[in-house]
Amino acid sequence: MGVPARRKTRHGGLVAWAFALPALLVYFAFLVYPALSSLWFSFTDWDGLSAGYNVVGLGNYADMAADPVVRQAAVNNLIWAVVTVVVPVVAGLALAVVLNGTVRGKPFLRLIFYTPAVLPLVSVASIWGWLYNPQYGAINAALRAVGLDSLAQPWLGQDSTALGATMVAAIWLRVGFPMLLYLAALQSISPDLYEAATVDGAGKWQQFWHITMPGLRPAHYVVIALSVIDSFKVFDLIYAMTYGGPGTATQVMGTWMYFNVFQYNQAGYGTAIAVVITVVAIAVSIPYVRSQTKEHAV
Amino acid sequence: MTTLLVPDTAVSAEQPVAKKRRGGIGATVVMTLVALLWISPLVLLVITAVRPLADFISHGPLSWPGTFTLDNFTDAWNIGNFATTYRNSLILLILKVPLGVFVSAMLAYALAKLRIRFGAAIMYTVFLGLTIPIYITIVPVFVMARSAGVTDSLIGLIGPYLAFGIPFEVLVLQSFIRQIPDEIIEAARIDGAGAWRIFLTVVLPLSAPALVTVFILDAVATWNEFLFALILLNSDAHKTIPVGLLNFQGQFSNNNTGLAAGILIAVVPILVAYTFLQRWIVGGLTAGASKG
Repeated sequence: MGVPARRKTRHGGLVAWAFALPALLVYFAFLVYPALSSLWFSFTDWDGLSAGYNVVGLGNYADMAADPVVRQAAVNNLIWAVVTVVVPVVAGLALAVVLNGTVRGKPFLRLIFYTPAVLPLVSVASIWGWLYNPQYGAINAALRAVGLDSLAQPWLGQDSTALGATMVAAIWLRVGFPMLLYLAALQSISPDLYEAATVDGAGKWQQFWHITMPGLRPAHYVVIALSVIDSFKVFDLIYAMTYGGPGTATQVMGTWMYFNVFQYNQAGYGTAIAVVITVVAIAVSIPYVRSQTKEHAV
Repeated sequence: MTTLLVPDTAVSAEQPVAKKRRGGIGATVVMTLVALLWISPLVLLVITAVRPLADFISHGPLSWPGTFTLDNFTDAWNIGNFATTYRNSLILLILKVPLGVFVSAMLAYALAKLRIRFGAAIMYTVFLGLTIPIYITIVPVFVMARSAGVTDSLIGLIGPYLAFGIPFEVLVLQSFIRQIPDEIIEAARIDGAGAWRIFLTVVLPLSAPALVTVFILDAVATWNEFLFALILLNSDAHKTIPVGLLNFQGQFSNNNTGLAAGILIAVVPILVAYTFLQRWIVGGLTAGASKG
């Protein structure tokens, strides 16, 4: 107490650790330790129930390479990542630019576009499962109403459309987030730039490419990073909407991991699947984490 | 923290008024139509939930109801076990959210103001948690809960929920606390206040906007969490709203109007809360993410 000049240059010592400890303990006990523990289980043949297990080294990883469902799940994850990142980011940017312009009722419109994002994913799955219902769903009813009876089909019940149908639901709920971030970022671009450009005779499109897009560069980075991170976590929506089916048509790594652990009693194999996708997710998002740390580090 | 709360009015005020009007109408009409399409699933859900099943089947999902009823809600409420799942979700919210926000604020304070040793390494480790998918942890968490005897209990969910909430909460809170002028903290210290009292009487009150935001976002995430609840809770008496809704969906797959009512029962609280608190939600999301 009473030595502020020294404190400024020195570390906070035990007091600082006392403040940090509760959160760090919980974080390590329930996130870091389980994640590392999964890495260990992935080298075993544990079934998830018995007391014992054997260490099988990289056996599970070798099995994964030969598992056609893993291949399908990996491809689905990739498609899912590309589509549910690109479409919401582009659409969210378009919405933000329009909402930032001369449109009326902006708070209300913004409210509507972000609404799906606050719903439990299970309820989003229920809502879309209900819309896709082959017989009584609104989507087929709408197609029939405009004479497109031939397009009415069991959207979630056939291989060719099931994955696409789940991604439509994901797009519905994920457009709002990039829109919000871009709206905030747009307000940091000086209106003077647009005014000067207008005086110089630049059209709206030119202004978008030469003022708006460069001005949004930091936002692009954050939006895309967070969207990619989010896309790797896909589980709830697929599980509740299609249960990975029909067959294995909509399996992703998260659901296939779950089925192996809790349905087929292959905890070792399941955790190996989880390890692979987690490693990919971390590798992709390390630049983002690093930038966040650099931003704040003293 | 200029981005924490973005005022709605700061929108291109520089444009000439005449031009604003002319461009405004076309864009407003188009945006309104798109917004209607976007919200139409929820509108259809409401319309379906308030009509009898027979009316729905004979006239189709896109028709206006011939008669109105609230029976679907009472059926769904009773069969869907919603009294229990609501209670469980609320208990979890009350136990978990204040505790999570409080310990996150403590860590955030240590990182932002107490010059903790290895601060950058701690931040890196904690922020990395933002990228970890829940399913990498479920097998060990299940094993831990089983050996502690807290499977099929709300208590077993609190640890994992806290851990997965901490990264985002710390990210937002520490960047807010960092903005508090050092002079204020220094003044309190000269007055004889220790770190703990400074935290409680200076840092927390000054961080109120960020705390509220983080509290709301954490409450939404807790209310919606599915995977941990799915693997840890077995009996109907302990299920939370998302898991209960999934069961309900299975039972009501042939009763479209009842299903619509059940989905609404599950989402209405969150929709109401979002509508009233959206200013805080929007501000928080923006604050947590706009630091590229």
